[in-house]
Amino acid sequence: MKKELYTRRGALGWGLVGLAGAVALPQAVRLLQGRSVSVPPPGEAPTVSGINPMVVLRDFDYGTVREENGRTVREFRIEARTSTIQLNRVVSFVSWNFNGRVPGPTLRATAGERVRVVFLNRGGHAHSMHFHGIHASTMDGVRPVRNGAATIYEFDAEPYGVHLYHCHVAPVARHIGKGLYGLFIVDPPGGRPPADELAMVMAGYDLDENGRNELYAFNAIPDYYMQHPIRIRQDQPVRLYLLNLIEGEAAVTFHLHANFFRLIRTGRSLDPHEESDVVTMGTAERHILEFSYHLPGRYMFHPHQDTIAESGCMGQFEVVGADGAPAGDPGHGH
Amino acid sequence: MSTVRISGKVITSICSLFAVLVLTGCGGSPETPTGSRSPGAPAASTPSGRKININTAILSELDRIEAELAVPALSNRIQAERPYASPDELVAKKVLTPEQYARVKDQLTVEDIVLTGEAKDIDYMTKLGLMRGHLLVARELLVGGESAAALPHIGHPIEEIYLDIEGQLDERGVAQFKSILLELQQLVRFSATSPKVAPALAAALAAIDGAMNALPVTQRRSPAFVLQVIDQLLEAAGTEYAAAVNDGRIAARIEYEDSRGFVTYAAQLFADIAPTLQASDPTAARQLSAGLAEIKRAWPSIAAPRTVVLTPDQVRVRIKDVERAGQKV
Repeated sequence: MKKELYTRRGALGWGLVGLAGAVALPQAVRLLQGRSVSVPPPGEAPTVSGINPMVVLRDFDYGTVREENGRTVREFRIEARTSTIQLNRVVSFVSWNFNGRVPGPTLRATAGERVRVVFLNRGGHAHSMHFHGIHASTMDGVRPVRNGAATIYEFDAEPYGVHLYHCHVAPVARHIGKGLYGLFIVDPPGGRPPADELAMVMAGYDLDENGRNELYAFNAIPDYYMQHPIRIRQDQPVRLYLLNLIEGEAAVTFHLHANFFRLIRTGRSLDPHEESDVVTMGTAERHILEFSYHLPGRYMFHPHQDTIAESGCMGQFEVVGADGAPAGDPGHGH
Repeated sequence: MSTVRISGKVITSICSLFAVLVLTGCGGSPETPTGSRSPGAPAASTPSGRKININTAILSELDRIEAELAVPALSNRIQAERPYASPDELVAKKVLTPEQYARVKDQLTVEDIVLTGEAKDIDYMTKLGLMRGHLLVARELLVGGESAAALPHIGHPIEEIYLDIEGQLDERGVAQFKSILLELQQLVRFSATSPKVAPALAAALAAIDGAMNALPVTQRRSPAFVLQVIDQLLEAAGTEYAAAVNDGRIAARIEYEDSRGFVTYAAQLFADIAPTLQASDPTAARQLSAGLAEIKRAWPSIAAPRTVVLTPDQVRVRIKDVERAGQKV
């Protein structure tokens, strides 16, 4: 009898330890992720019309955490605005955007947390925020919010994966095309292994409103990452959260040069579904691509619809060695 | 064994206690997502009437609070400091002092509410007015042979605005007219040169008029009421115009045309009440008439001017002048 009691008490004790560990583990993982990933200092990376695509790349908005009735609520404040973006030396474009940046803030939460998005529309037209995920129809963000009015979207962050949000006022293609979109990442409980995490959205610009795009871009500014390559560390895992929001085209096939990536479709797994160097993505499809480069140098990435690529949707990675210097002689990397 | 029995009782009592705590905790907590609409269910009312949603209310609604607290320009301030995740943010954002907030907090909410009374009528007429403005501009473009340019102005009424008043039409005993708008849209899109377009456009405008006539004529003729609708139309025009202008040029013609339509209709509404206003308040009538004429200068023609006549800021200032003059009525 005494033996039984000890076993039961012991089990309870181990249970408590396990519970504490399960609560603490995601935090520990996040700390580890923060510490062990080394991001090389960027090269020249100018701000364009108040947007800096190099900053946007690694900028994850975790919002403000509140404790309400014993529940974690992650609150985000988003404002729809109108502003001009200088797309290149010649073309400026009236953009409708969230918080003055295109893409909008990359919102991030952990699965199961309550997400609250306080949305104010100062964009002129009616706008809304429609999230991809699982939520009630009242939170679906298809009802327009008048200019000058605000609304509150609230739902649980489900399911884990990489998702998106965008305005859902008709004509949706125009509202998205003008810049009203962003990524919404829902981390699995416990997170993912450490990696250099990047967020990228492919989109098109219909400059003359004829239903066809003339320019395209990764993260809003055409050719930005071609002119200002993204520095990544040699042999360090990269995790790319990639979304295609090009309207008015058939799917684009994202291609990574000189390497293969492991593909986690819609981020809906902890392990890759497959491996390739191209992935065909329709509008609003988004995946996690994981890869690392062993040899220093510059490597392009772009949709393999090469006319689209050459109209602004192209970029390069610059793989740098541990000492941080850009590649000179690939043979000296270690 | 006795230990096991006590453990069982303890566990059961803890569970039931927990259940009670959870249930009572759920009673007052915001478990229901804020911003959810409960169709048909009236919002919680206070002794003084319906609650005001500080995130969506128009100026005249917020004026209730402004009047009660006797704080000038408070309604503008409340709008300027949006959004609010909860009413007490008014204090955090220094819009109200804690004492002021305590006096009015029962009237405030951030949840969706069903508009009633005059606010609802202003909202209704404003939306119909926006639709009318869109169609007026569509007509100008169609007359000018620009059917492709006219199409978005026929789409907007359906897509952005009609959905918002659909419920109210039944309430007010107005025949639904979405099919009229849809037919017009399809005609313009697929058969723009058809002789059916003109009558379809006339039918759409008539349907909007019919919907407006659901409001009592005394209200539609009342300067105080109509001026509030005019304010809403001008606000929309001002923001759209700002979205149209880039680099001193009209860069986005759709927004230029939208704002032109809203201002055109706002001026028509004013012309309707001008005689009454002239009799009751000639000073205001003169100020408003002059103010509207000033604003209209920004849209000299349906075709965008080569250089901007008024900057968006200038338009905004003139709109504020008209609003201020109107508030005194």
